Amino acid sequence: MDKISGITEDEITKTDKIINDNGESPDHLVKILQDIQSELGYVPMEAQRMAADRLGVPATRIYGIVSFYNFFRLFPPGRHSVNVCLGTACYVKGAKDVLNEVETEYGVKAGQTTADRRFSLEVVRCLGCCAIGPVITVNGKVYGRMKTAKVKEVLGKYN
Amino acid sequence: MIIKSVEDISTLKKEVEEKKSEISKNTQIIVYGGTCGVASGSKEVLDEINLEIGRRKIADIVILEHSCMGCCYLEPYITIIDRDGTNTMYGYLNNEKVKEIVERHIVRGEIVNDYVIDQNAPFFTHQVKRITALLGKIDPLKIEDYIFYDGYQALAKVLQMDRKEVVEEIKKSGLKGRGGAGFPTGIKWEFASAAKEEQKYIVCNADEGDPGAYMNRAELEGNPHAVLEGMAIAAYAIGANKGYIYVRAEYPLAVETLEIGIAQARKFGLLGKNILEASFDFDIEIFLGSGAFVCGEETALLASLEQKRGNPRPRPPFPAIKGLFGKPTVINNVGTLSNVPLIIQRGAEWWGSIGTDTTKGTKVFSLTGKINNSGLIEVPMGITMGEIVFDIGGGIPDGKKYKAAQLGGPSGGCVPVEHLNVPIDYESLKKINCIMGSGALVVLDEDACMVDTARFFSEFDIDESCGQCLPCRRGLPVMINILEGITQGKGKIEDLNTLNNLAEAVRKTALCALGQTAASPTLSTIQHFREEYEAHIAEKRCPAGVCASLFKTKCQNACPVHQDISAYIALVTEGKIEEAYRVIRQRNPIPIVLGRVCHHPCEGKCERGKLDKQVAIRHIKRFVADYAYENHFEYIPQTKQNVDEKIAIVGSGPAGLSAAYDLAIDGYKVTIFEALPVSGGMLAVGIPDYRLPREILNYEIDQIKKMGVEIKLNTKIENVDDLFKEEFKAVFLAIGAHGESRMNIPGEDLKNVFWGTEFLRNVNLGEKVDIGNKVVVIGGGNSAIDCARVAKRMGADVTILYRREKKDMPAIEEEIEAAEQEEINIECLSVPVEIMGNGRANRVKCVRMELKEFDKSGRRTPYVIKDSEYIIEVDSIIESIGQVPESDYLTNSGIKVRKNKTIIADPKTLATDKEGIFAGGDAFSGALTVSDAVAAGQKAAYSIKRYLKGEPLTPIVERKDPDRYLIPFAPDEESEEKPRVKITEKDIKTRISNFEEIIFNYSKEEVMEEAGRCLRCDTEEVI
Repeated sequence: MDKISGITEDEITKTDKIINDNGESPDHLVKILQDIQSELGYVPMEAQRMAADRLGVPATRIYGIVSFYNFFRLFPPGRHSVNVCLGTACYVKGAKDVLNEVETEYGVKAGQTTADRRFSLEVVRCLGCCAIGPVITVNGKVYGRMKTAKVKEVLGKYN
Repeated sequence: MIIKSVEDISTLKKEVEEKKSEISKNTQIIVYGGTCGVASGSKEVLDEINLEIGRRKIADIVILEHSCMGCCYLEPYITIIDRDGTNTMYGYLNNEKVKEIVERHIVRGEIVNDYVIDQNAPFFTHQVKRITALLGKIDPLKIEDYIFYDGYQALAKVLQMDRKEVVEEIKKSGLKGRGGAGFPTGIKWEFASAAKEEQKYIVCNADEGDPGAYMNRAELEGNPHAVLEGMAIAAYAIGANKGYIYVRAEYPLAVETLEIGIAQARKFGLLGKNILEASFDFDIEIFLGSGAFVCGEETALLASLEQKRGNPRPRPPFPAIKGLFGKPTVINNVGTLSNVPLIIQRGAEWWGSIGTDTTKGTKVFSLTGKINNSGLIEVPMGITMGEIVFDIGGGIPDGKKYKAAQLGGPSGGCVPVEHLNVPIDYESLKKINCIMGSGALVVLDEDACMVDTARFFSEFDIDESCGQCLPCRRGLPVMINILEGITQGKGKIEDLNTLNNLAEAVRKTALCALGQTAASPTLSTIQHFREEYEAHIAEKRCPAGVCASLFKTKCQNACPVHQDISAYIALVTEGKIEEAYRVIRQRNPIPIVLGRVCHHPCEGKCERGKLDKQVAIRHIKRFVADYAYENHFEYIPQTKQNVDEKIAIVGSGPAGLSAAYDLAIDGYKVTIFEALPVSGGMLAVGIPDYRLPREILNYEIDQIKKMGVEIKLNTKIENVDDLFKEEFKAVFLAIGAHGESRMNIPGEDLKNVFWGTEFLRNVNLGEKVDIGNKVVVIGGGNSAIDCARVAKRMGADVTILYRREKKDMPAIEEEIEAAEQEEINIECLSVPVEIMGNGRANRVKCVRMELKEFDKSGRRTPYVIKDSEYIIEVDSIIESIGQVPESDYLTNSGIKVRKNKTIIADPKTLATDKEGIFAGGDAFSGALTVSDAVAAGQKAAYSIKRYLKGEPLTPIVERKDPDRYLIPFAPDEESEEKPRVKITEKDIKTRISNFEEIIFNYSKEEVMEEAGRCLRCDTEEVI
């Protein structure tokens, strides 16, 4: 929680705008945080504090929400976001092998970003594409029927 | 336009109808999308169609984009509706196929049969589509399409009704919540309706976080208005005017479709103020869930809607009384709400006309996992799991076996093979400790480990636990520690009780449904798969080959004899054949035999199979063993110092030989007593020469004799006790199963009715057997196939009669294939009821069978079809319906045998009740395979050694090999697809003309190439 890098001017402006666009209302707290996540790719501590001040809610409540839901991240992401589905259907079809392959091939663990900021790797639980598992997504694009042998081919397209 | 009345809806419907009939003057191409369709390339297919149509400047074509119909396994797929209304479906498409379809179907007007999907297949015909009926049929982005199919008429109808009447109608239907808990929807509505508050809410729960479930996503993507209409009806019934749809942010397409749907409904006046001029205001807002499984629980969902952490709270008060912002709130699942318009429009009676006594209507499942036809299915309540998996789902891929189906994901339980006949309804599932769940149905095959599955679900629950209450926060991690220990071979047998107790405690004391049900997968797997847990604990063995810390490679783990497969294959790759032979011989007393007749379970688990095709492990072994034989290279593992104790083995089949081999290595003096004039048991008198030439079998037996094992032929042991008088210290009974079960039908005693084992034995011993020209073989096992192929080689015309279907035959698949290649006729679903003839049998009266419910083996039970008798003319009949041990005489020596004649012994140690006497192989287990018999011999030898040393008997636990072969390995950067090196077989004509061996060996170059395909799973850790 303490390892927070500084927030950029641009990020402050964007956060400001999102709070304004949502009517500066605590009734839209989650929506505001979702918008920040979508816009910045993460919810910086500073942005959380800004929201706390402007909406008049305790910063702890905001942190409680951000750390509770899987959707939010506390750290800046890589250029490309890779999600490996470990839902049941994907799991029984070998999703674990696919995950291992991504981890060893790119030297990154689930929940981390590669040193070169190329990929952020996340494990997700079911994307609802169970019929074509194992499934991974890269920047939201879904790749179905994955095999370990296909990992490099798919991720190689993203630099 | 604003719709103000029922008449307006009808007018609009008419307009749409006209437009549609205008469109139907064109050829229509429907491309099915949806999240999984898009991921499988439906957009590319759409682009390609547009490109091809545009390039050819074809007119009179309409291209429509619909959502997925549910047959996700076909993706990408399309339907072409010709001008005459002919409807053709094409599946598994890619750009090439699309080009061909446009050229041939659209331009030339011919059906491209290669890609056509049969819409009369059980996947389509066994479903009852109600709430999914419009999925794929309508354009989900057009409210007009929904109205064309009578959409919003139910809303119009209720607005003319009294609120109480609406609630009554839903109650009458028997609709229960489709989210999983199955609470009666009408009663929930009644509570909220009775609450005296001004402000009430209706919430649609579309937070489908259950892994393996995507019913709600597909429903929202394919027909959003059904949910909106259902919500409006619910709102009217309880007196709410505000609704929320809580939908996962992970479903962007569903959200977009809903947004468009809501906007259109508002535009048409079906949401908003004064709907249909009935003084009813209602509007809906979408709320995006941010990814928390626990928010599927209703109180957590409400907290989340209130802009808080999704922590559940205790109930009561129930949300229907005190819900969102403290106001009465009805929370219904997408599936529940989609059913509401149907009930109103067609009546509770119609709606409840299908289902069981206690559970009405249909249920939507997402059928996934190891299943051929994965997709979204809607079935009547009361259908059995077997029908879902084998009829609709088309069974398990790659010929593997069904193991279980997990219902209800991390909160649910499993349905094992013996419960395939359980009807799907809330009560029946509860009886087997399972739940209906929200609709996730994940099929597991033989490759799934149930301990690992339980661990997987527990891990999921821990990740998703909100951490509020102690039982869930602390109880689950303790459980997972135990489960993890078991998967690593560190479990203790008491762990199972601890797990049960802990699970029970968490179930009783956790705050919310997530915690209360979190232990269900563990409890359910312990209940149904206790043996698998025990194998992990007592034998440190993962039978499915999943728990990686318990074995080196999956192939070795699957091998009954526990051969170090990756080691000898690595040596073969380097051309070190003699070294490979030494590795094989460490554990395998008869590699020449097993290189030919093993049923090779190793290949079923070979990782290479996931890339292209499994490594031909058995053929490689055969090459190595034959090489040693041909080049006079012998390797006998060093025998230890001589031990004085004498051991008697009764029977010289694979079990006896294998026990003798292991005991001789340790220096024991072994004598094998064989009743027949030849040694080898079933290897000699059961397996025909064309599969296993006699001289190489004898060579291998001679190798064992060289170790000091004595074989006394023509010596039947009448009384086992006599052996102890002759100073034998222990006895291993491996008498095999040389008798034959009888069908007990009239005419079995006629001449020329042969028993399979007897027939094979006589032929193998060189006796003259007259079978004539037309032979009928009865049975479906390996022995029946052997009989048929031998009869064929004796010049007969052969028919096999089998009572079930070919896929149910217990014989090895490649043997069945070979029999068919040799033009042996296999007649399935047929059973003889009488053998007729005067002195000699010349006719068989048979009846046809039909298959009904599933039996405990997961196969359907055959029943006689009335009046289906027919006659087959024959010259002779061979009955081979099951081999049984000839064990009656053993009871004289006080050995206990079962009703089916198998000897009773402890399955873990093979010790019989009588001291010093052990039993194994077919005589103990009933007819199994040669490698199982070899494994049984090893087990017996292990027990006998412990017995003689006075140590307590235990199962074989430490199965590590004497040497660990570390063979350097430079993995390829990329593993490229490379087919299995073909093995040559004799052509059919020559092979059926004599008894010579029919499968040729690899050459040295070939075997090295094939061995090079091994992915060397054993080196995983080294890299």
